[in-house]
Amino acid sequence: MVNFTVDEIRGMMDKKRNIRNMSVIAHVDHGKSTLTDSLVSKAGIIAGAKAGETRFTDTRKDEQERCITIKSTAISMFFELEDKDLVFITSPDQREKEEKGFLINLIDSPGHVDFSSEVTAALRVTDGALVVVDCVSGVCVQTETVLRQAIAERIKPILFMNKMDRALLELQLDSEELFQTFQRIVENVNVIIATYNDDTGPMGEVRVDPSKGSVGFGSGLHGWAFTLKQFAEMYAEKFKIDVVKLMNRLWGESFFNPKTKKWTKQKDADNKRSFCMYILDPIYKIFDAIMNYRKEEYESLVQKLGIQIKHEDKDKDGKQLLKVVMRTWLPAGEALLQMIAIHLPSPVTAQKYRMEMLYEGPHDDEAAIAIKTCDPNGPLMMYVSKMVPTSDKGRFYAFGRVFSGKVATGMKARIMGPNYVPGKREDLYEKAIQRTILMMGRYVEAIEDVPSGNICGLVGVDQFLVKTGTITTYKDAHNLKVMKFSVSPVVRVAVEPKNPADLPKLVEGLKRLAKSDPMVQCIIEESGEHIIAGAGELHLEICLKDLEEDHACIPIKKSDPVVSYRETVSEESDQMCLSKSPNKHNRLFMKAQPMPDGLAEDIDDGKVNPRDEFKARARYLSEKYDYDLTEARKIWCFGPDGTGPNILVDCTKGVQYLNEIKDSVVAGFQWATKEGVLSEENLRGVRFNIYDVTLHADAIHRGGGQIIPTTRRCLYACLLTAAPRLMEPVYQCEIQCPEVAVGGIYGVLNRRRGHVFEEMQVAGTPMFVVKAYLPVNESFGFTADLRSNTGGQAFPQCVFDHWQILPGDPLESGTRPYNVVQDTRKRKGLKEGLPDLSQYLDKL
Amino acid sequence: MPQFSTNEFVSLEKDVEVKRKTVEANSHEIDRLYEIQRCLEWIKTNNFKKVCLQFPDHLLPHSSDVAVKLQNLLGHEVYILGDTAYESCCIDYVAAAHINADAIIHFGSICFSKTSANIPYLNIYEKHYMELKNLETAIHETFNEKEIQELTLLIDDDYIHYYDDLCEMFNICRICKVDEDLSELSNYGPVLYIGQNERKLINIDLSFNVKCLYYYEPDKNPPKITPFQQNTKIIKRRHFLIEKIKDANTIGIVIGTLGVKNYLKVIERLKKLAEANGKKYYLISVGKPTVAKLANLGEIDIYVMITCAMNEIYDSRDFYKPIVTPFDVEIALNNTNGTNINNFTFDYNFYLNKLENIDNVEKGNETDVSLLSGKLRSLRNPESKLESESSQIALKSEGTLTTHSHFGAGYLQQRSWKGLEQNLGDTEVKLAEEGRTGIAQEYKNEHF
Repeated sequence: MVNFTVDEIRGMMDKKRNIRNMSVIAHVDHGKSTLTDSLVSKAGIIAGAKAGETRFTDTRKDEQERCITIKSTAISMFFELEDKDLVFITSPDQREKEEKGFLINLIDSPGHVDFSSEVTAALRVTDGALVVVDCVSGVCVQTETVLRQAIAERIKPILFMNKMDRALLELQLDSEELFQTFQRIVENVNVIIATYNDDTGPMGEVRVDPSKGSVGFGSGLHGWAFTLKQFAEMYAEKFKIDVVKLMNRLWGESFFNPKTKKWTKQKDADNKRSFCMYILDPIYKIFDAIMNYRKEEYESLVQKLGIQIKHEDKDKDGKQLLKVVMRTWLPAGEALLQMIAIHLPSPVTAQKYRMEMLYEGPHDDEAAIAIKTCDPNGPLMMYVSKMVPTSDKGRFYAFGRVFSGKVATGMKARIMGPNYVPGKREDLYEKAIQRTILMMGRYVEAIEDVPSGNICGLVGVDQFLVKTGTITTYKDAHNLKVMKFSVSPVVRVAVEPKNPADLPKLVEGLKRLAKSDPMVQCIIEESGEHIIAGAGELHLEICLKDLEEDHACIPIKKSDPVVSYRETVSEESDQMCLSKSPNKHNRLFMKAQPMPDGLAEDIDDGKVNPRDEFKARARYLSEKYDYDLTEARKIWCFGPDGTGPNILVDCTKGVQYLNEIKDSVVAGFQWATKEGVLSEENLRGVRFNIYDVTLHADAIHRGGGQIIPTTRRCLYACLLTAAPRLMEPVYQCEIQCPEVAVGGIYGVLNRRRGHVFEEMQVAGTPMFVVKAYLPVNESFGFTADLRSNTGGQAFPQCVFDHWQILPGDPLESGTRPYNVVQDTRKRKGLKEGLPDLSQYLDKL
Repeated sequence: MPQFSTNEFVSLEKDVEVKRKTVEANSHEIDRLYEIQRCLEWIKTNNFKKVCLQFPDHLLPHSSDVAVKLQNLLGHEVYILGDTAYESCCIDYVAAAHINADAIIHFGSICFSKTSANIPYLNIYEKHYMELKNLETAIHETFNEKEIQELTLLIDDDYIHYYDDLCEMFNICRICKVDEDLSELSNYGPVLYIGQNERKLINIDLSFNVKCLYYYEPDKNPPKITPFQQNTKIIKRRHFLIEKIKDANTIGIVIGTLGVKNYLKVIERLKKLAEANGKKYYLISVGKPTVAKLANLGEIDIYVMITCAMNEIYDSRDFYKPIVTPFDVEIALNNTNGTNINNFTFDYNFYLNKLENIDNVEKGNETDVSLLSGKLRSLRNPESKLESESSQIALKSEGTLTTHSHFGAGYLQQRSWKGLEQNLGDTEVKLAEEGRTGIAQEYKNEHF
C-alpha cells in the first residue's frame, strides 16, 4: 500500500526545508534503477519482496525488456525520519521545526553514455545526486562524466557502493581487500570532486566521507544497505561511545585490539581494522553460514542480531534466505533515506548557491532574489528541463523545477524559449497553464498548485516549447540558463515513410521527436531528405523506435547511419585570392589558413566567443595561439551562425569604405562557412584573412548584391587553394574487459582505424580498461563486433571527443575523402565532380 | 547624353549566354523556317500596321534577315524585340506596348502559359530536323501492337511541322500537338513526348498526371524511347523549401512576368498568405533577376518568383536566398490538407484555379518546430498584436524615437554600418573640389 496520499505530498511541498530533490546517477549497469526500487518499496509503492526486480522507474516497455534505463523518470515520495536520526540534521535550513516528514523527489537517470543528455536534464532540476558505483568495476568513464556534470551544476553528491553481494559471492574478496576496494573508490570519487569543485567555493566541501555517513554500502538487488551510522548505532551502547565518534573510528586507519580493548591508528599483529572487524565480519559470517547451508550457525546469528524473520520466509534457504535476512537486518530504504535526508541539501540551502549558476539576468533583480531565497511568494521562475510524452499522442508534459513563486492550474504565465531576449517578442508566449501535475513514475496525479523548491509537470505549455524553457510571471525576467550537454549529435540517419503518402505524418512525428528528446536533432537537408541526428547508435535506435511507434505511427525506412563531416584547410592559401564583383568594380583579396590546434575547440567551448570583449580576446589569442595582437583585435565575425569555429580577420591597412561593406562580407562569410566549397558541409577551424579590398566609389555599386556573392566566391577560392581537407568526428571509447579479451579488442580497433591511447588494470580487480579513439564512421556495429571477438566480455562506451582530419586529398580522385565528397554531393543533389577553382578565382 | 544612360555599346557587346544552338540556315531557307509567307498573310489579313517580331536570344542572328524580308514584302517597318524583359518563351507585351504595337509575331519555342494581355499574336515555331524512320523503329521496338494502338504522341513545338507526316505514319495512334488543350491527357494511355525540353516534360508530367510517360529525343544518337522517371528530386526539394518559407520572416515577391495570366491574382494571394501568417512581404520588380540584384535586399529571407513555368531560375542554387514558386508558398502557409505536395507544378495557374476561395487562408497550429533550426517558430504570428505592442514608442537615449519590430527599420538597426558619421568639429572643413565625372559603369578616371 502506498503509505502517503497526494494531499500529504501537497502539504509537504510547502515545507521547503524538508524537501530533497535528487537524481540517481552512475555508469551503465551499476544498478541505479534497482537501487531506486528500495526507496520506492519503502514508500510502499511496490512490495518489498519485489524491490530490486521491478525497476519501477523503468516505465517503458523497452526499458524493461532491455534492462536499461533510457529516459529519466521522476517520482515523489514521502517519508518520516525517526527522532534519533533527526538530530543529525543540524542546519536550520535543512529542516522545518517540528516536522519529521520528508518529501523526496527522485529522478532515476540512464547510465548509458548515449543518453547523457537525460542525465543533464535530471541534474538541472535537482540539488543532490546519489552516485552509484558498482564496487566490482569501480569508477568508470560515465561515473566520471556525470559526476563532473553534477559538480559543474553545483549538485551535491553522496556515494553508494553497490553490488556488494557480487564482491562477496563471486569475487570472494577477503574483508581487507574489500575495504581497500571501497577506499579506492571513495578516493577516486573524491579526486574527481576535487578536480571540479573548489572547497572554498560557495558549495563548500562536498567530498564524500564514509565516517560522516555520506557513503552507503550494500546491494540494490538484494535490498540491503548500510552506512557507518547504522553500525555505529548498534555498537554505541556496547562501547559506550557517542555514535558520531564511533563512526569516525569505524573507517580508515583505525584498529582495535580485542585483547587489550585499545584503539590504535597503526596496524600491528594483534589488532584488526575496525571496519573489517565490526562491519564486514558479521556480514561475511552471515553470508558464509547461509550460503553453505549451516542452519544452526545462521539461526543463532540471526537471533543474536535481533533479526525478525517472518513466518512465511522461515522455510527459505540459500540465496533466497540471504536476501530476506539481509534486507530485514539492514533495509536499504532506511539507509538511503537517512543518507538523503541528512546529507543532501534542501532547496533552501541549494538555491542560495545555485542561483548565480542558473539565472542569466542580473543577480539582484526580483527573480534572482526570489530564486536565492526559494521564495514561494516571489515571482514564478520555473525551468522546464524536458518533455515527457503523455498518453495523448503528440502532447507532452513539460517537466521541470519551480525555483521561486508558485505554479498553479489555470494561471497565466510567460513561456520563454531559449532564444528569448528580454524586451523582445521572439520566443515568448503568454498562455495559461492548463494543469499542474505530480510525476509518480508511470503515473501522474493532478495537483492544484506547486510552490518553489519542487519538481512537477505542466499541461498545456508543450505547444510553446521545444525541449526546454523558462516559465515565469515576472515581466522583466531573463531566461534560466540553457543546459550544456556533454554529448553531441554526430550520428545521422535519413528516414522516409515506407508509404510516400505518409510523409506529412513523418514530418509531424519528427517534430514531436525533436520536442521530446533533450538532444536529438531532426532536420531537413537542402535535398529534402529528413535526417535524425543522435549521440550514438543506441540513441538513434531508440529515437527511430519512438518515432515509428509513438510519434509518427507509420512504418519507416531508414538509411544506414552516416556521420556528418566538416570541411577545413591544411595549409595557407598558396596564392592571394582575388574575386571581382559582378560589376567588376569591387575586388576582394583574401587568404585562408588553418587555425592553430585547440582554437576551434576553444570556440566550441565558448572560451573564445563573439561576445567577448575584443581586447581581452585578442590578448588571449595572442598569448595562447601566438596571433598578432592588432590582427586579433580585428576579428570581424565567427561562423557559421555567428558563433561557429571559423573566423574572419581584417588584415587590411587603411581601406576606404571598408566598414560599409562589413555587413555584406560577414553575410557572405556566414554563407560560405555554412556551406563549404567541397560538399556544402560546415567549415571548421579555418581562419580567413582579408588583405585588401578595392571598392567602387559609389555606395550603390558596392552594396550587398555585389559584395555578398563575391565574398562567397573569394572564400571558396581561398579554400581550394589552401589544401582543403575533410574532418570526421571521433569517439573516445572506454572498454572494460578481463585480461584475456584485451587482444581481441586491439584486433577490432585496428580494423576500424581506431587506436588505443591508454590501457590499465582496474586496481583490485582482474578487469582491464582500454581507452581508444575511434572514428565515429567506423563505430557502426562496433559493440556487436567487439562482443563477438571477445566472447561477449567487452563492453564499450563511446562518447564524441573531437574532430580529426580524414587523411587524403579530397581533390584527388580515388582517395577516401574524394569519395566521401562525391557521395555527399550526390546525396545533396549537387553537381558531381570537383568544384572548379576558375569559377571562383578572378584575374587581376 | 552618356551621363544619363548606359552607352549603347555596352548592350550591343554584352555576351548573352545561349543554351540552345541556332539552326543553320541560308537566306532562302529562312523563308521556310520562319514561314515568311504565313506571317505576311496574317499581317495583311488583319491589317496590322505596327508589328513586333520577338526572337529568343539564340535566334537573334536571323532576326535582321527576317525583318528585312518582311519589310520588303510589306512595304512598312516592322520592329524587332531584341532584349526580352523576362523569358523568351513568353510573349513580351510590355516591350510591344512601348511602341503601341498592333501585333506580335513570336518566333521559337513558347511556354503556353495562359497570357494576360490581348494583343494578337502569332506563333512561328522552330523547325528542327527529325529522322522519321528512326522514330518508327524506336516505337516498334519499345511497344507492342496493342500498346501502339493506345499510344498518344505528343509533339513539342520544334517538331510540329512533322504533324501531318506523323498522322499519316501512325494513323492508329492519337497525335497531339503541344499547343493544344492537353487536359484530357490524364485519361489516355501511355504518352510519348517527342522533343528535347526536359522542363516541358516535367511540367507535363506534374500538371497532367499522365499515367505512363515516355520521351523520345530525336537528336540523341542512337535515338531511343525512354520511360520518364518522375523527378522525385524536385518534389523532395519542395519539402526543404517549404520549411524555409515557414521559417522566413520576410518574403520577397519578385515579379518575373507581366504576360502570364492571373499574375496579379497570384500576387494578391501571396500577400494574403503572408499577412495571415504574420510575415512581412516586399513586392519587387528588378527586371530579369540576377544573383547580384537579389542579394541587395538583405532583409528578405526567401523569394517567390511570379513567372512562367519554363523559367529555370527555380533550379538555381547560386542565389543568396532560395527562390520558390507560388505553389510552395501556398502549401507552406495555407494549412489545408487538400493541397497535396505531390500535385506540385511550376505553373501557378494550375493550383490557383483549384482554390475555391482566393481570400481564404486556413489556420493550423499556432506554433511549430522548425526542421531547419530545431527551434520553435510561430506560425500565426499575430500581426495585430505585434502592432499594438510596437505602437508604444520609447525614448531612446540618443533622443531618437523608436518602435521595435523585426522588420524594416528594425532590421536596419541590427547592421553595424549605419551611415557616415558626421564627426562634427573633428572633420576639417575643406573647400569643394572637383569630383568624378561620367557614369558608374566607368568613370572618366577609372580604367577597366
